[in-house]
Amino acid sequence: MTQLIGILEEGFIYAIMALGVYITYKILDFPDLSVDSTFPMGAAITASAILAGMNPVLTLFLSFAAGALAGCVTGLIHVKLKVRDLLSGIIVMTALYSINLRIAGGRANVPIFSQQTIFENGFLDARIPSALAPYTIVIILFLITLVCKVLLDLYLKTRSGYLLRAVGDNEVLVTSLAKDKGLVKIVGLAIANGFAALAGCIYCQQKGFFEISVGTGTMVIGLANVIIGIQLLKRFSFIRSTTAVIVGSIVYKACVSLAITHGMTFGLEANDLKLITAVLFLLILVISRDRRKKVKAHA
Amino acid sequence: MLKLNHIDKYYNAGTVNEMCLFEDFSLSIDDGQFVSVVGSNGSGKTSMLNIICGSIPVDRGTIQINGQDITQMPEYRRQRRIGRVYQNPAMGTCPNMTILENMSMADHKGKPFNLLPGTNRQRIDFYRESLKSLGLGLEDKLHVKVGVLSGGQRQAMALLMSTMTPIEFLILDEHTAALDPKTAEVIMELTDKIVKEKHLTTIMVTHNLRYAVEYGDRLLMMHQGRAVLDKSGEEKAGLRIEDLLEQFNAISIECGN
Amino acid sequence: MKKAMMTLMMAAAAATLLAGCSSSEGGNAAGTTAAASADTAAGAAEGSYTIGIGQYAAHGSLDNCREGFLEGLAEEGFVEGENLTVLYENAQADGSIASQIATNFASQKVDLLCGIATPMAQSAYGVGRRNDIPVIYTAVTDPVAAELANADGTPVGEVTGTSDKLPVEEQLEMIRAILPDAKTIGILYTTSEVNSISTIEEYKAAAPDYGFEIVETGISTTADVPLAADALLGQVDCLSNLTDNTVVASLPVILDKANALGIPVFGSEIEQVRIGCVASMGLDYIELGRQTGRMAAAILSGEKKASEMNYEIIEEASFYGNTAAAEALGITLPEELTASAAELFTEIAAE
Repeated sequence: MTQLIGILEEGFIYAIMALGVYITYKILDFPDLSVDSTFPMGAAITASAILAGMNPVLTLFLSFAAGALAGCVTGLIHVKLKVRDLLSGIIVMTALYSINLRIAGGRANVPIFSQQTIFENGFLDARIPSALAPYTIVIILFLITLVCKVLLDLYLKTRSGYLLRAVGDNEVLVTSLAKDKGLVKIVGLAIANGFAALAGCIYCQQKGFFEISVGTGTMVIGLANVIIGIQLLKRFSFIRSTTAVIVGSIVYKACVSLAITHGMTFGLEANDLKLITAVLFLLILVISRDRRKKVKAHA
Repeated sequence: MLKLNHIDKYYNAGTVNEMCLFEDFSLSIDDGQFVSVVGSNGSGKTSMLNIICGSIPVDRGTIQINGQDITQMPEYRRQRRIGRVYQNPAMGTCPNMTILENMSMADHKGKPFNLLPGTNRQRIDFYRESLKSLGLGLEDKLHVKVGVLSGGQRQAMALLMSTMTPIEFLILDEHTAALDPKTAEVIMELTDKIVKEKHLTTIMVTHNLRYAVEYGDRLLMMHQGRAVLDKSGEEKAGLRIEDLLEQFNAISIECGN
Repeated sequence: MKKAMMTLMMAAAAATLLAGCSSSEGGNAAGTTAAASADTAAGAAEGSYTIGIGQYAAHGSLDNCREGFLEGLAEEGFVEGENLTVLYENAQADGSIASQIATNFASQKVDLLCGIATPMAQSAYGVGRRNDIPVIYTAVTDPVAAELANADGTPVGEVTGTSDKLPVEEQLEMIRAILPDAKTIGILYTTSEVNSISTIEEYKAAAPDYGFEIVETGISTTADVPLAADALLGQVDCLSNLTDNTVVASLPVILDKANALGIPVFGSEIEQVRIGCVASMGLDYIELGRQTGRMAAAILSGEKKASEMNYEIIEEASFYGNTAAAEALGITLPEELTASAAELFTEIAAE
């Protein structure tokens, strides 16, 4: 049970980040590496803000806003300075590494164990019945993830959301609609990185500390979550992609957890995690590609 | 009134591969004209459209719409008053969005794309009526993704979408070339109907000489960045395919192909 | 292809399922203790325990810590394979993996979590405090800064351990003894390693007492090491190392460049001296681990609670020297140091 809860907790946190990657990778078709640094940026801002006495709930919004700003920078570099998509992300990722350290007051590790967080505060202590106490975190995480998912779903149904989907689908049409496709991409990157920073904020509050290294590989995890979720659930067309991404995130974390706890049986250890991820990743990509070919052959 | 004044356009300027496309090219199109443009490959037909739409910059000269200089205006802003249909049917629609969503987007052209609902429910009946006029049965497939439609269906939609909001110019870039003859015929008739209904100033590039002769009230034949033939009114009406073909062969022989 | 898809889905489903029910099975590493570890109270009565050791990175001194830790436990009667099951995982310096390792240990109902190095210790405490599992740490340079201990040394919860704070004063004294004329000491450090930054502050505070000036250069990745080392070596009389993971991993590159310029490099622990640093006043990480192991034993046996024990540091630093490295630079290690050396190397190990 504890392990299941642990998987769900991790899965939900990373699902929020993966919703962002879903926007960049699946909707915009933009391999955005800046999430590798906006995730820890959210964590750094949160740790500093909470230490400065800010309400932990407000840090959620602050982190999202800061992440969105960073996403705008990636977008501006790509659109206005005409730097290739991948490189724009790398530039922002590199720059944010130093900025994150500055945000954290020059420290690579900022603990907030003794502070109030969205998971531990007087408000909750007074209201959560003790029977539910072990599940407080997972319930809060579930609710936040749900809100993020619903908001994103709603956004994608607005005029602005339509345009965002269109720009990844067919840039030419966006221009034909007399809209600046560059601006639409910037908006998409802003939302995506906002989600990544929000996930970092929640991660920091749940773990009780900020650590500069947590961002490494964020994008790969996000991609894995998106691809696993969408490929696994693609035949259930009534399931929204955003839901699939959340499921994918939980499945991914379950696999990681499995590799850590049960991997020894097969002679695997935590060191092999990246390899397992890569193999899983490749497998799903190959399967999805074959299926697409088949569809084409039928057409 | 659309005017291209003394346009120069070079490709690969300053390199050994420099190629001159237009040199001192001028053209003016009156409001309400339907211009058919024919010409061999590389004669500058599509480049001319790209220059008008702002997809490619010019090296010299100006572009004016109703007296306003739009030479420096970015492509997306020019599109406010221009509707464009491409040769590739996939260019005019979003394959991963439904017919309804595509129609809604086209309907919002020129308005802010804000946080209001993407589809206005009160307009659905209008969309359905418009689709019905195509006679392709699309009105019953509002929630189907455009990606599963055939090329002809998509092109019909693209045509409908690009003319849905008030525009001043309709640019047709070989828009029947990728379709089978029967579908091409349908799309061409539809084009004519829409152009007449909405009194649109239209520029149509085509490889089909018959369409060029049958439709429109002015005909341009392009060759090596020049209009070698420009007939309108009575002259255009009297033009036969044979005449065009003869002219066409003459310039082709001149080129050695 | 359909078949492949099915297999994959089944694998994923199985993964979730297994993951979900593993807590009832207990640890899989040793089936014999699984039943016992599922219930802590019963386990204690039968005298068999499960502990989870999470190590942040693969690193010579951290490995020594772990070795010493198990020795310390064994000295107190907790012997691995007899009455102690040890689950061990390495996070490979990945923060997100570190926390998941800790979560998994908790789900296997371990009796004690051991975190080696700061981020792992924090991850362990983050999980331990929510699951009522005591946490012990080692190789945490500054437990107060890491919020694992209060300023007066008392634990912030059921968490305690040992610090590997470098003996900075002793190191400076030693450098002064070996290089009477040196004025500047260069230090290379990684900006992301929190321990390095606090140690540099300490160096800076103490250096004037020994007549030194500290010049530091920060790097962010291994790739920065060669350029940063070149720049730093041009300004200093000698280099002194911290326990900085990135820099230590690139030590051979640094030694190569320093030797070419005839600049001595001082290490921070035995492993560095073994591969060519001139000398070091260092910690014995095995001893540090042993000390931690004894503290862990006290918690496991119920003798003391973690919250009742202040964190500990190793009081004495020992001298390690490498005569071959010194000779190559034309330096003689002073008698008074070599006489009391914990270990003297007479050749430079090729790692």
